[in-house]
Amino acid sequence: MLKINLHLIEYAINSLLRSKTKSIFITTIFTLLVFLLTSIFFISNSIKYELNSTVDSLPQIIVQNIKGGKSYDIKTNIVDDIINIPGVSDAIPRVWGYYFFENAGVNFSLVGINSYETQYKNSFNELIENYDLEEDSMIVGSGVKKLLEQNYYKNYFNFIKPDGDFKKLNIGGTFNGDTQLESNDLIIMSIENAREIFDMSKSKATDISVKVDNPIEIPMISSKIKSMYPNTRVITNSDLKVSYQNIFDYKSGIFLALFAICLFTFFIIIYDKSSGLSSEEKKEIGILKAIGWTVDDVLKEKFVEGAIVSIFAYLLGVIFAFIFVYILQAPILRNIFEGYSILRTTFELPFVLDLQTLSLVFFLSVPVYIAATIIPSWRTATLDADEVIR
Amino acid sequence: MLLSPEVLTLQILNIIFLVFVTVSLFLSIRIFFKWDINATTKEQYKLEKQSFLAATIIKYILAIKLPLFLFFIFTLDKLSISLTGAMCAAGVVDATQFGTYLFILKIINIYLFGFWLIIHNIDIKNEKLPYTKIKFGFFIFIFFIFITEVIVEYLMFDAINIDQMVSCCGTLYSSSATSLISNIFILDTKILLVLFYGLFMSLFISYKFKLQYIFSISNFLFLIISIVSLISFFGTYIYELPTHHCPFCFLQKEYYYVGYFIYTLLFIGTFFGFVASGTNPTDKNIEKYYKISIIFSFLYLVLVSAYPIIFYIKNGVWL
Amino acid sequence: MIELKNITKIYDLNINNKVTALNDINLKFNEGELIVLKGSSGSGKSTILSLVAALSKPTMGEVIVDNKRISKLPDNFASLYRRENIGFIFQKYNLIPTLSVKENILLPLVPNNPNEDECNSKLNIVLEQFNISNKKDTIVKNLSGGEQQRVAISRALINNPKIIIADEPTANLDEKLSLDFIDMLRQLKSQNKTIVVATHDPLFFNLDFVDKVIEIKNGNII
Repeated sequence: MLKINLHLIEYAINSLLRSKTKSIFITTIFTLLVFLLTSIFFISNSIKYELNSTVDSLPQIIVQNIKGGKSYDIKTNIVDDIINIPGVSDAIPRVWGYYFFENAGVNFSLVGINSYETQYKNSFNELIENYDLEEDSMIVGSGVKKLLEQNYYKNYFNFIKPDGDFKKLNIGGTFNGDTQLESNDLIIMSIENAREIFDMSKSKATDISVKVDNPIEIPMISSKIKSMYPNTRVITNSDLKVSYQNIFDYKSGIFLALFAICLFTFFIIIYDKSSGLSSEEKKEIGILKAIGWTVDDVLKEKFVEGAIVSIFAYLLGVIFAFIFVYILQAPILRNIFEGYSILRTTFELPFVLDLQTLSLVFFLSVPVYIAATIIPSWRTATLDADEVIR
Repeated sequence: MLLSPEVLTLQILNIIFLVFVTVSLFLSIRIFFKWDINATTKEQYKLEKQSFLAATIIKYILAIKLPLFLFFIFTLDKLSISLTGAMCAAGVVDATQFGTYLFILKIINIYLFGFWLIIHNIDIKNEKLPYTKIKFGFFIFIFFIFITEVIVEYLMFDAINIDQMVSCCGTLYSSSATSLISNIFILDTKILLVLFYGLFMSLFISYKFKLQYIFSISNFLFLIISIVSLISFFGTYIYELPTHHCPFCFLQKEYYYVGYFIYTLLFIGTFFGFVASGTNPTDKNIEKYYKISIIFSFLYLVLVSAYPIIFYIKNGVWL
Repeated sequence: MIELKNITKIYDLNINNKVTALNDINLKFNEGELIVLKGSSGSGKSTILSLVAALSKPTMGEVIVDNKRISKLPDNFASLYRRENIGFIFQKYNLIPTLSVKENILLPLVPNNPNEDECNSKLNIVLEQFNISNKKDTIVKNLSGGEQQRVAISRALINNPKIIIADEPTANLDEKLSLDFIDMLRQLKSQNKTIVVATHDPLFFNLDFVDKVIEIKNGNII
């Protein structure tokens, strides 16, 4: 039905090259727009992916004690009741929290491990086998080690307890966590040391992690726990995933709202540039019509020009974004997204290729561009030929 | 939910469409009332120029709307992850009172814009431009349907609440449901299949013997029966599950996105069927429209029939 | 064959400023004639050309070519009429300098999306007729004035039109090139083409093969 008109394409390319400055200007702006959009999406996709991987390694159900909307320490005696729920394979009280290291202005995640029990995380089991959590030592993530060294703590660290005293712990070893996010702020110590640093009594824990035999039963079991203990908050790992997704979409959404403004500007610029016809260009259209081109033919040619520019600029923008984000690791831009983390992380953005992202950027850029060129192209095509030739 | 990037993209494009379609509306009204092909006034020449603009805008909107519709379905599919209970786009469509209407409106608009373009192409081939007034009057009508779609789309996305449980396609499309859709299952499958294949035969025969009225009725019924039989019978063979009737799930990756092919073939086949039904029999293009319609409807038939047949060959029994 | 009936053409430069380019004129050209429209610039002769080519529409009156009212044709049809029936030779050639000879000549055919064979057969006819076959792939801006002139004429003739329209064709040419051009016109006349030339170059006024010389002044025929 539609035979591709190579002659027309050739003419269009030549026409674009004839008005070089205008073509280059438009292509550059378009490429810039696509580049920015794609980079932002690539970064957020990668971080989302990284975060989702983290979530998968978290416990399936977490039970927290809620008072006045905030989480407080939970009594450990409910562990036995929870284990008795059919379908629950294990319930482990966790002692963990954040410790603010003032000199560096960062938070560490402190996790207390009871060496003699099974851990809620498999990697912790490995750590216990490889390192000995003696009385006064801790194991730190590689990122933490680096940070401590930068602050002149080479072999040990002094935690400041809530009552003002110091707690000194030696650095017994360094590990690389399951994901980079973990290794950068995680410190593992014995449960007693953690309790001491957080001033938590033995009958309490930060929360309780629950393991379930059959993942399909997670929603049922969490509602059971909730009905048994109404003043708890029961979080499943799919809840976490959804909330992360929403945070990201919200953050991306804000940017998109900003981009809507950028798009509008883009539209105006393209409209303006396309409208401004030099007398040269007007004469050319006049000649085309005089030698027999119809208005539809001129419109078609203008459309082909637009298609060439937009496809070229789109591809260029995507390629540049790819290089910027995955090879150069997106300097500056990624900081916008890193507010979620507690520590300034320096992890590598994993490569995530998403067809939906690419089509999203396509729909945000190309139709807007074409829309901006409709009226200028029409004006050009309907020029009165005779007035232009005289 | 309103702020998901995909949703925002859809809304931004809708705004652009809105602006342009309003421009087209003003032009259409002007042309509808003042067009006089025999006049030699400046006014008339200006109108002739403006008719190009209106036509270009409508072409643009349709050209973007087609892939955008696929993107829309993609978006619904993605949203289904965030809505509890939804496993595919069906759940998202059902999440609000607007979902089904929006879906139908979008499809109707694609058909309407398509028809407009066909009329336009016929019109400009004739020196007298005989259908200009009619086509722009028709556009005024399309404008209101389109505006309705944009408004409903905004309302739908605004109303989606992630905390609300929605039904999965399993409950929506089962024979025990009490919705409109469940009425589909009242019909015996055998009767449906007879109708389905029978209607296609009717299409083919009326094409061969150029019986335009019979063709147009058959084409319309074929569209309806195709969708019903797809939900009720053929879909189950795509899923290889006698209870899975959802018309959206097979758009997903697990089924190789076959849904997009199925619906595209059906759309093109029936769309050109409508066009052929409405074309003047003396127009030489009518042969082309008939052919495209029959070919694509046939391809659709083959594609959906392939699933039960292959299932039977592999397993030796029907579901 | 070409008839202008009661043609009036008024240009609106702005609300208060109207220019009457042609005032109720009547003209008839027969097939195969070479007509010279004589008059100074602004006299209206260029307007007659654009009316015959359906490039503009008359304010009043009709233009009829081969019994067809081309003045009433909508834009797309007017352009098609032009493509098939008119060969336009402009004052300054108006070739596209960055394209080759071949591409310039084929320009009127581009919207038709012709296949290679059709292109080549039509191309070779005009290239040979005007002796520029060897320059087929040269970029136009690298050609001499005379060669460009021949490219311009070739382009006008690529569709083998019945009517040739030339607007001040020799205005920018020296005497030699002007005479070359007149020779080519002679050639075209022998092919039974209808030729309308608008010019104030006296070289045209006393040619033996000119059928009619029509003088236009201030929009009226003298």
